[in-house]
Formats: sequence, C-alpha cells, structure tokens
Amino acid sequence: MTYVEWLRIRNCLKVLAIILVILLALAIVLRVSVSRYMSPAQWVHHISLDPGTHVTNVTLPDGAKETILDNPGEQTHVTIDDHGNAGTHIVVTEPSSRAHKDKNNVTVGSIHVIETDHGKVTTTVIDTNGSVPMLYYMAIADFFALIVATILAAPLAREINGHLEMTLTKPISRLRYALGAIGVDVIGILAASVMTVVAFYICQLLFETPRLDFSGVNTRAILMGIACPLAWYAMLCAATTWLPRAYGALLGLIPLGLLFVGLLTLVPASNLVALFVHDVAWVISRLDPLTYVSVAAPNAEGTVNYSGANFGFRISMEALFFVAYGALALWRWQRVEA
Amino acid sequence: MPAVLTVDPRSGVPIYLQIIEQVKRSIALGVLRGGEQLPTVKQLAIDLTVNPNTVARAYRELEREAVIETATGRGSFVRTDEIDASPRVALEIGRDALELALREAKAVGLGRDEVREIFTTALERWFSELPKGDSP
Amino acid sequence: MSSIKISNLRKVYGSTPAVDGFSLDVPSASVFGLLGPNGAGKTTTFKCMLGLARPSSGEILYDGKPLVPESFQRIAYVPERNVLYEWMTVDEHVEMNRRAFKAFEPARARELLSQFGVDPRKRASALSKGMRTAVMVACAFARNAEILVLDEPTSGLDPVNQRHVLSLIINEAAKGNSVIFSSHQIGQVERAAERIAVMDRGKAILSGVVDDLKADRKIVEGIFPDVNYSLDGIANDPRVARVDRTERILRLLVTAGADEIAARLSGLGATGIRVLDLNLEDIFLYAVSPKDATADIVTKEQSS
Repeated sequence: MTYVEWLRIRNCLKVLAIILVILLALAIVLRVSVSRYMSPAQWVHHISLDPGTHVTNVTLPDGAKETILDNPGEQTHVTIDDHGNAGTHIVVTEPSSRAHKDKNNVTVGSIHVIETDHGKVTTTVIDTNGSVPMLYYMAIADFFALIVATILAAPLAREINGHLEMTLTKPISRLRYALGAIGVDVIGILAASVMTVVAFYICQLLFETPRLDFSGVNTRAILMGIACPLAWYAMLCAATTWLPRAYGALLGLIPLGLLFVGLLTLVPASNLVALFVHDVAWVISRLDPLTYVSVAAPNAEGTVNYSGANFGFRISMEALFFVAYGALALWRWQRVEA
Repeated sequence: MPAVLTVDPRSGVPIYLQIIEQVKRSIALGVLRGGEQLPTVKQLAIDLTVNPNTVARAYRELEREAVIETATGRGSFVRTDEIDASPRVALEIGRDALELALREAKAVGLGRDEVREIFTTALERWFSELPKGDSP
Repeated sequence: MSSIKISNLRKVYGSTPAVDGFSLDVPSASVFGLLGPNGAGKTTTFKCMLGLARPSSGEILYDGKPLVPESFQRIAYVPERNVLYEWMTVDEHVEMNRRAFKAFEPARARELLSQFGVDPRKRASALSKGMRTAVMVACAFARNAEILVLDEPTSGLDPVNQRHVLSLIINEAAKGNSVIFSSHQIGQVERAAERIAVMDRGKAILSGVVDDLKADRKIVEGIFPDVNYSLDGIANDPRVARVDRTERILRLLVTAGADEIAARLSGLGATGIRVLDLNLEDIFLYAVSPKDATADIVTKEQSS
C-alpha cells in the first residue's frame, strides 16, 4: 500500500547517494594528492638534518614504526609512533623557554594537541588520531536529513493533489494509509542520516581509521539528529496537508520564512516597533523545531558549552512537535474530499 | 450462425427485438434449421457487443413464442417439434411487413381501392412465376 | 452478488447542490449507463459512491451494506480525470495494483495494455490522454472486481479501443459482475448498458431499461386539415410528455401507448399519422434539452 511512497524515497535517496558519491570521489582525489604529506618520513628527514640530532628507528611489538629524534644539545626529544592508518602519536619534549607562552589544548577534528609544563620542560603531545566526536558527523547528517525531510514532507498533499481517486480506493483505511506513508518517510529520513554518516566515515577512513566518540554531548547530538528532522518533517507535512494545492511553494518558502523569523528574533529591542517585531518573531520561532536543535550553547565568554542543560526540554519539544504536527496532518487528511 | 446476426444499437428498435427478428428471419430463410444450436447468450453478447441481459431477454422471448427451446446446461436450440418452426415464422415476418406497409399507405391517405390496385400489381410482379394453385 | 443501491443522495458544495436527491438501483450482474450533460452530477455521484466525497445526505449500499475500505477489494474504479503518477512507469502502476489488491492479475493487466498498445516501460508523463485512460482501464479490468465503476472509461481512446472497452464491459456482465459507467458517447451506452439513468442538475430525470424506453417512447405525428384543431384532452394524457404544434402539424412525445394515441389522432381527423422510433440519443436529448431535441428530430425526418 505504501509502494508509491517507497518509490519516492528511492528516487530521493538516489539523488542523495549521487551527491555523497561525488563527495567521496573528491575525498579520494584529495587523499591521492596529499599522500606524500601523510607520512611523517619527510618531516623526520628535515629535523634529522639538524646538527646533533640522533635518529633511532624501532619497530614496536604492535607493528608501529617508532622514530626517536634526540638532540641533547637543544634539549629536544621527539618520539614519533607511526601507527599507519590508526594515526600518529607524537611526543615533543623541549625547554619551556622555547615553547608557546599560552598553553593551548586544541582539538581539530581527530587531531588533539595537549601541551603540559613540567618545570623547565614542556611536553607537547600531538595525537593525529584522537577520538572524533559523533557531533560532527551528526551535524552533517542532520543537514542532509533536513533536506530529504523537506523534499519528502508532502506525502498526503501529493495524494490530495491529483491521486486521491487512486489512494482512497485502496482496501485500507485513510488513517492506515497515512500512517504507512509517514512511517515510510520516517524510515527514508533516517536512512538519509545513516547514509551521510557512512559516507563521511568512509571519507575519513581514506585518511585514518576514525575512533568515534559517542559519549556525553555526542549521544545528545545523535538523539537530536534523529528527532529534529522528524519534527521538521511533521511540521511541513501538516502545513502541506492543510494547503495541498500550494505544497511545492510551502516546501520552498517555509524554510526561508523561518530563517527570516529567526533573524527577526535577533532584532535589538531599541524601540516599541522593534520590540513588537522581536516578540512576534520569538513566538513564531517557538513553533519551529529548528529553534530547539542546539546541543551546545555559547557561554558568556564566547566559548561553547556542551553541557546537557535543557537538553531534556529541547528533545521533548522535538518529540512533541513530531506527534502534534503529525496529528494535525492526520486530522486534516481524515476530512479530505475529492 | 452469428455471422448472420447484426444489430443496429443506434436504431430506435429495441435491441432484443432486433435479435428476435433476425433469429426468426434466419429460421425462415433456412439459415438456421430445426435442432440447430444457437450461440450461448454470453457468446452472442460478446460477438454483437451488446448487453448479455438483452440477449437473454431475446432468447426468453423466442422461447416463449416456441421458436427455440433451451436445455439446461446444453444451450438453446431451434425447436424441432411436430411443426417445423420455419413456415410459421416466415408467415409471421411476411404478415408484419405487410401490416406495416398497409399502415403507412393508410397514413398517407390512400383509399381501399388504391391499395388493392397497388397490391395486385405488386403481387403479379413478385409472384408471377408461382403456379396458379398458390394464389387464393 | 454485486448490487448497488443509492437512495436519495444529496451532495452540496457550498450552497449549490451537485447531486440533489438522486436514487439508483443497479441489480447484480447488470450494466448500468449513467448519462447526463456536463456538470449534471455524474462524477460527484461516483465520488460519493466510492467514499471520495461525503454525501450531505442519503445512503449508498453495496449488497445492502455501506462502503468500508475492505469493499475496495471488490470494487474497481476508473476516474474521469487523469490520476496516474506522472513520474512512475506503467509497469510500476501495475505493480502498485498488484500490491494493493489481492485478486489483481498482473499478467491480465499486461495483456490488456498490449491490446491497447501501451508500452509498459513508459512513464505516465509520456503517454497521451487516451493511453492514460487505457492504463486505468487495463488495471481496473485486471482486478477481478465484482463491481466496476467507470467514469468516462473511453475518453480519449480511438474507436477501435473504445470498442475494446465496450467488449470488456460486456465480458464483465457475462461473468456476472456489475458495471456502472458514464459516457458522453450515447451509442456506447446504448450497446453495453441494459439500464440507464439520465441525470440533469443533480437529479435523475429519466431511468429505465434501454430497450423498454425505446419500445415505449415514440413520436406520434399527425397532420390536421386546418390550423384550429382540437386535441380533445390528448395533451392532458399522462402518457403524452410533450406537445409540439407547428401550424397544422402535431407532434407528440409519448412515453407509452403510441399506437393507441395514434388511433385517437386519427379519430380527431388527422392524416399522415406516423409513429417514429426514438433511439437513445433522441430520448436523452428530449429528456435533457427538449427544444434542441425537437429540432434534431425534424432535421432527421427531412433528411431521410
């Protein structure tokens, strides 16, 4: 009974797959072109040219190649463990006087840099294959899932707008039909997320074997990454079911409209009109599932706070939107006439 | 046999009457002989592209008029009773045709004598080759 | 068993009734033709029958029971407008039907499609209007349904394929299934339908068995010696549906007893009395638009 909806999803995911394959192809091109920089050998060679540097090569029991560069004169000691695809672990020990003044612990993707002072000596540990927060994956997956959700979000409007005679003369109740179609779309949206995660995992795999971090904020990101596109889908589904003739325009304009509303909430309340605009926009934005999407909130200092504060509320709002908007669509659908 | 039957659904004459008339005509002309099987209602309906109930109605009427008989499970047949249906049916067709002609003649205002004259002339023309004993 | 009974159906859109107290009885194993001018309420009636629109009042029963979703295993419908999924191929439409209906025979559908000359690999968007109708018809007749509701099942088809659809309808009737269909091609209704109803402005203005209507409804015509002739109450006879007096010529539309009325005209001194047969188109035109019908009959007489 949901055959048509499956076909729609198939077509939609086919396009997504093509986009992801193109991204993957770009990653392969990148991988091939940077291959010479991927190995530490070149870099080791440069340091080893410094006078007084002593180089030792050892193969560790786990198969990793360890290179030790020792320069007693400069009081510098570098240990490079090359684990191949599993990353490179570098420990640099040098006099504190030569190290950076500000001790920065930096994480960029899988690269973690931790600097520690030990009296006159500073140790810098560079791990090129630190854990990758699932959060990053989910951010991309969410983006694609939202696009797919937007494209799919008119299952009932599409039937109302031209195929009602076929849809409603099937031996199945209206409600079951609609639940089936929405259910299939939910699977399609989740599949889009999974496909994106898998594609980007493969992209990263070209460079290293990622160690994904699913803990803490990442768990929340996964939950939000599932809930938000579904709530978004339900909202558009309700809108298109109520105004089936304009479903194409709604799917195109609602995202833009809500973006505009979001911007309006940022209007500073400098005068009465601005205050009014801000308040109206604020109220409207409360109905937008995207408003509740963040897993992180900027702190007063401008750094990002990944705490779970309010997460329970936000995820509940997404779930509520999915159910409420879905019910609104179904309610309208029950009353549709050809 | 079905090749003989044609109906004109666009005419004002009910289709079942057209079928009756044509079956009778086929019998009168000897195209359908006593004992010969008629196509099934379904077959004739499909061949003529007319409603099966209409064909069934024609068959029922023919049966009522003792022109055909239907044996359950075997189909419909032209009757082979003590009297062969064909002369009786021929008589009927001829009578109907003459009735119609006479009615039309009356409608246009012809008198009895005029009609008789036309009739005698026509009789001479069409039936002259018949032996004398046949005329009344 | 596959009877349909519609009683007093009313469907109001806004304040205008599209169907206004329409009743209809389709016995099992019969073909019913629904005729009527555009906007008479035929399609709305079908939509109410199929639960696509909610009747404002009235009742529609299949074998004495109201429609439930499961009924659609037994009911096949060909809608008037094109409802194919433009982006899907014909084969995919067949597959959709196979998945939706238990008794659907894909092989039969493909056979019918090839008879209609439809390439099943084509997308619906690449098909002509007639071919789209053919796809709907092929899928409906491959359903092994007991009731077929066909709204203009021959629209856009060429004469050969139109005749093919008629044969399919007749075949269904021969199998004991019921068909109710509408068509503007009265000749088709005349062939395939046993019973008809003529709808106009939401009401049934005429209904009955086609052959009975033809047998009963006649034009009786007579010519009187002078213009001021008396009808002696003939006009009030309930069997006289219409009286046309054009100078000395009197033309009566009678719904029964043509011969008897002809005899009465003769008794009143009329000459040149004729009883004219009416085919379904004449009967339809008389019912729907009496003025045009008279003109039509007159021209027909003059030309013949």
